[in-house]
Amino acid sequence: MNAFAESASTFIDDRPDAAARRRAWSIFESTGLPTTSDEVWRYAPLGDLGLERFEVPSAPASAPDSAFATQLCQRAGLVIRVVDGFCVSTGDLLEGVSVEIDESNDSLTGESLLHRYESDTFAMLNAALAPSATVIRVAAGVNVAEPIVVLNESTAGASFPRTQIVVGRGASVTVVEYFEGGGDALVVPVSEYRVDDNASLRLITYQRLDASAWHIARTTGFITRDARLHQAIIGLGAHYDRSRNDAELVGAGASNELRTTFLGSGDQVHDFRTRQFHVAPRTTSTLLSKGAVADRSRSVYTGLIEIEKGAKRTDARQTNHNLLLSPAAHADSVPNLEIRENDVMCAHASTVGPLDELQCWYLESRGVSREDAQRLLIQGFFYEMLSALPSELAELVESDVASVLANVAVVTS
Amino acid sequence: MSSTLKIEGLRVEVAGKEVLKGLNLTMHSGEVHAIMGPNGSGKSTLAHALTGHPGYRVLDGSVTIDDAELLTMSPTARARAGLMLVLQQPFEIPGVRSFDLLIAAGAEPATLRARMLEEARRIELAPELLDRFVNVDLSGGERKRAELVQLGVLRPKFALLDEIDSGLDVDALDVVAQRLMAATTEWNCGVLAITHFRRLLLELTPTMIHVMSDGRIVAIGGPELAVTLERDGYDIFRSTPA
Repeated sequence: MNAFAESASTFIDDRPDAAARRRAWSIFESTGLPTTSDEVWRYAPLGDLGLERFEVPSAPASAPDSAFATQLCQRAGLVIRVVDGFCVSTGDLLEGVSVEIDESNDSLTGESLLHRYESDTFAMLNAALAPSATVIRVAAGVNVAEPIVVLNESTAGASFPRTQIVVGRGASVTVVEYFEGGGDALVVPVSEYRVDDNASLRLITYQRLDASAWHIARTTGFITRDARLHQAIIGLGAHYDRSRNDAELVGAGASNELRTTFLGSGDQVHDFRTRQFHVAPRTTSTLLSKGAVADRSRSVYTGLIEIEKGAKRTDARQTNHNLLLSPAAHADSVPNLEIRENDVMCAHASTVGPLDELQCWYLESRGVSREDAQRLLIQGFFYEMLSALPSELAELVESDVASVLANVAVVTS
Repeated sequence: MSSTLKIEGLRVEVAGKEVLKGLNLTMHSGEVHAIMGPNGSGKSTLAHALTGHPGYRVLDGSVTIDDAELLTMSPTARARAGLMLVLQQPFEIPGVRSFDLLIAAGAEPATLRARMLEEARRIELAPELLDRFVNVDLSGGERKRAELVQLGVLRPKFALLDEIDSGLDVDALDVVAQRLMAATTEWNCGVLAITHFRRLLLELTPTMIHVMSDGRIVAIGGPELAVTLERDGYDIFRSTPA
């Protein structure tokens, strides 16, 4: 009995646009799940996934908000609620912002998702099984003062949230994509962001799923002339946390700042992949990835900077720091550069190591206990990443992160 | 209450080499003592060994505050016993704010903010710098002042200053010296200043000067000793090998 295939088939048959979904499903069926011999998935424990056990829900379950979600929503100008991939509320009206439910299979680039993500099995599952895309559009020239929160709750089974954000010319907005719940669940989000000329999108993706969840996410930003995408991705939850984050800098002067942060404990795996694709001249990307692994957890960061011929005076930087909090934890860092243009600035750096012994001593020499010194240093490691958050959210997220860090054990070898 | 800091026969090894070779020093609350000596005489080693820096190995000796032995204590316990080091080059701690450091060090949360502001005012540190991560994006002089804000909040029984004068201009040096001088009366703080230069000691008047050479104290005297050192150098005090 394959609960996944059966419920997926029922789900697709019930949708109005079943044909495109069936095509996506057949692509999935013909390629199957990737294996660890596939370079892109070599760190993923996909053998333990057991995809057939996850049922695709035909309707959203009811899910109570966590205390954190409630507080987050209180700070938002607009709250969009998505449960098990179904958009259940598009929130109140907010001037200059529209929220639509789109059941088509279109990418924000205008192509079909099937075409765009054909080689990505999990994106194909999203194309087949996402109830709809939640499409947020900010009208040209509008500065949205308060953050928009997309609250993703997952209950059980397999869910496929899809979010698309379009920021019109010269507009600016902050959006938080928050994920929680997901006990024994599979959550496969696909998000796309299009930032039009001279617009600014500040995006925070905060993943706090249950430690038993499988989270396999993909985001893509399309950044046009002089537009800015500032993206912070924080992954704390999930048994396997996969986050692939691409940015395509397609307009001259476009910029992308990406900060990815993760904390691993127990036997978690955090698998972050990034790709900064510079197509247009004078584009900049700054990537800072910082993560800590405790217990027997492991992480891999694989970053690619790709610079096309003609993307002159591109400035691309990639930095990855990994903190080892136990001798049994493991972190890999795999930076890659593919440069087809000469007139560029490009740099990458990475480190893997334990907490700094001398920083620890410095704090202790003020009367801070060793345990507190370690906690402060780990917090500091993350707070540096959070310092980019807008002030109305920073404190809330900091204290939530601190509550998770408080339970992390530091073992020195 | 008066306390006594006593260092007896302290021998310390760094990277396999004995740097302190039996050092003795005694001082009391409210006093200012200066340790002067040439480069390489072991001054910084003393500061680090007293506070339990992981790179320094104590071979022998004793360091006590009111008969409590510090050398067997963790760095934390030494600080809580009343000894605080102001570093020559304070560490940057990205992501950690001074406020949180001081709370973890035992400061009273309710009054901490006000006390930090007051200390910053006295040491002429721009108050907005208090919100930066510890020592991050601060100039050398600002870091020294930030260390003194911590000192003023934590009020240790004994303050150990490792070359506080490096990186400070003359005006800043006076402000720092005046703050330390005030500490000796405000909470009867004992100040042990390690320095190369006499300039610091014009405002921070020492009760006693200890001249250090080759890992030992080779001369002790009053403030006039600083004048002699400045005029004649350290050569006359260098211990000759037996």
